[in-house]
Amino acid sequence: MLWFFRGIRRGVVTTHYPARPDESSRFLPTPPAFRPWALTRSTAGRLEGACPSGALRLQDEDGERGGGRLVFDVGRCTACGRCAAEAPHAVTASGAFELAATSRSVLIKIIPLRGEAR
Amino acid sequence: MTPDQATTVKPSTVPGAVTTFQVSSPDLEAVVRDLAGLRLADMFASDGEQPTLRLVWANDTAGQAGYIITETPLENAEYPALSDITPAAFIEECEIYEQFGIRPATGKPLNRVMLPPHADLPTLGRKPQTEPEEPHAPHLVGGQAFEFPFGPVRQAGVESLYYGLVTSGEEVVDLYLFTWHKHRGLEWRLMGRTPEQALFLAERAEGLSAVAVGWALAAAAETATGTRPPDQAQRARAVALELERLYNHAAAMAALCQSTGLSVGQSAAEIALERLLRLNARAFGHRYLFGVVSTGGASRAPDADAIREDLPGAYGEFRRAADALLATNSFVDRLEATGILTAGQARDLGLVGPVARATGLTVDARQVPGGPYEDETCVAPATGTAGDVLARFTVMLAEAAESVRMVGQFLDAGAGAGTAELPRTGGCGLGWAESPRGEALAWVGLGDDGRITRARLRPASARNWRGFDDACRSQNVFTDIPIIEASFWLTAAGMAR
Repeated sequence: MLWFFRGIRRGVVTTHYPARPDESSRFLPTPPAFRPWALTRSTAGRLEGACPSGALRLQDEDGERGGGRLVFDVGRCTACGRCAAEAPHAVTASGAFELAATSRSVLIKIIPLRGEAR
Repeated sequence: MTPDQATTVKPSTVPGAVTTFQVSSPDLEAVVRDLAGLRLADMFASDGEQPTLRLVWANDTAGQAGYIITETPLENAEYPALSDITPAAFIEECEIYEQFGIRPATGKPLNRVMLPPHADLPTLGRKPQTEPEEPHAPHLVGGQAFEFPFGPVRQAGVESLYYGLVTSGEEVVDLYLFTWHKHRGLEWRLMGRTPEQALFLAERAEGLSAVAVGWALAAAAETATGTRPPDQAQRARAVALELERLYNHAAAMAALCQSTGLSVGQSAAEIALERLLRLNARAFGHRYLFGVVSTGGASRAPDADAIREDLPGAYGEFRRAADALLATNSFVDRLEATGILTAGQARDLGLVGPVARATGLTVDARQVPGGPYEDETCVAPATGTAGDVLARFTVMLAEAAESVRMVGQFLDAGAGAGTAELPRTGGCGLGWAESPRGEALAWVGLGDDGRITRARLRPASARNWRGFDDACRSQNVFTDIPIIEASFWLTAAGMAR
């Protein structure tokens, strides 16, 4: 019985989402955002090597490894921050900690490199 | 033969903390009998020109805490049945057979604990000649009891796990764990990686012990390469480790409330848990503290002001929920005399963490010299005597209070980021850290190129699940099992790594 009143006293703690911007979200690790003007082929190669979960890959248009396109698979990204640490001039944290998609393919993005047509 | 008579092959970089002895195969049984008064903390094999069996023994005596490693090159695919001398070796005997095809010479039956059947997954060494046995009881036991399969998908459990429950209707007559469903081959995946790459996977071995398992692996690599992390980075690791303990104990409290049907208490504990997770994010940039530990130090510095500002409030929430629960008879009654383990059982099985300490054993890896705990604070392990769920809960509460105290001391002494670069060199080393669920160990062997030739991860869960069936058998009924599981607060992933 005591616990019933304890619960009543605390009041309703569930809310609609989002009730307000979540203050704590600014401290969370988030997937990377890229600065294509600073992203050279060699930097992209270093990013591929630094990514422990294989979210960043250099591929050609047929999907073969080692090509000239940087493919970012958000679905594999763990927001560990190693890419931003490897090349802070070219990669920053996106700040986007919420992610939703209706198909897997939406999560795979082609990141243009410097000097390439966008 | 005693260790004193054996040959020291590699002195530790931490004097007194780790000593390694070479023991020949014919002498192994005698040495194990001599060392059986110590706690067998781990046992594993490695392959190469000759398979080698390594046993890690822990001395838990205050003031003398440390580890002894025995290395035994095996002349053939058999060794003495060590679990007949020290029962703590049995699970590892099973695992070594699955991974290397090496088995005790007595031909004793070995269970499947690691690799799923029919999956043909890669092993660390030669595959066994015959398949290990399943730990099934007959479905009808003595005509009175029957086996009741439970899991791997369960309604309340946060992870999938499969029990074989042998019951005569209500009482738990016996309980078997099937732990191979989630096997991920982590130790196999670590081979050929650099310690830096391996750390990413070690942190994810069981997730909820990211700091402890990561620290253990990093420390093993540091010992192997003779690297000493900066002092302020060691203290940053310690701050993260104590925050990890706090949020895990809050989560265990919430799970205890859930298992006893106390939903308001569960909400109160989860509010404390959420505040602690947010504190982690504010202090270190990650709710579960991933990425704090790096090989050679710590890659993130704690936000000391944030911790000093938020920790008292979050811990106050934790303590309010705990005090209210301890004043609730219907809660305490469900915990008292439930899931009892004796100190003898805990010692024989080599159990660690709050599970062992609740029986009165002072097992705590933070007492081993050579780290920030020795320099900055004095760890007095909280212990109980009853060995039941209530004793585990009260041990966790006492530890949480100690963690808050120690976080303050580490911050006052100065905790920051900093990394000493690991040289690309060969060697081997043992690392340890006291995770919220007990001692986490890691051992790495590095080749001359600095890449891992063999890595052993032994989270506390891999040790303590073997005590779970004993705790469940001790005069308990079905509805006690979730309560006992919450009080152990282990991960299935830590076993199925």
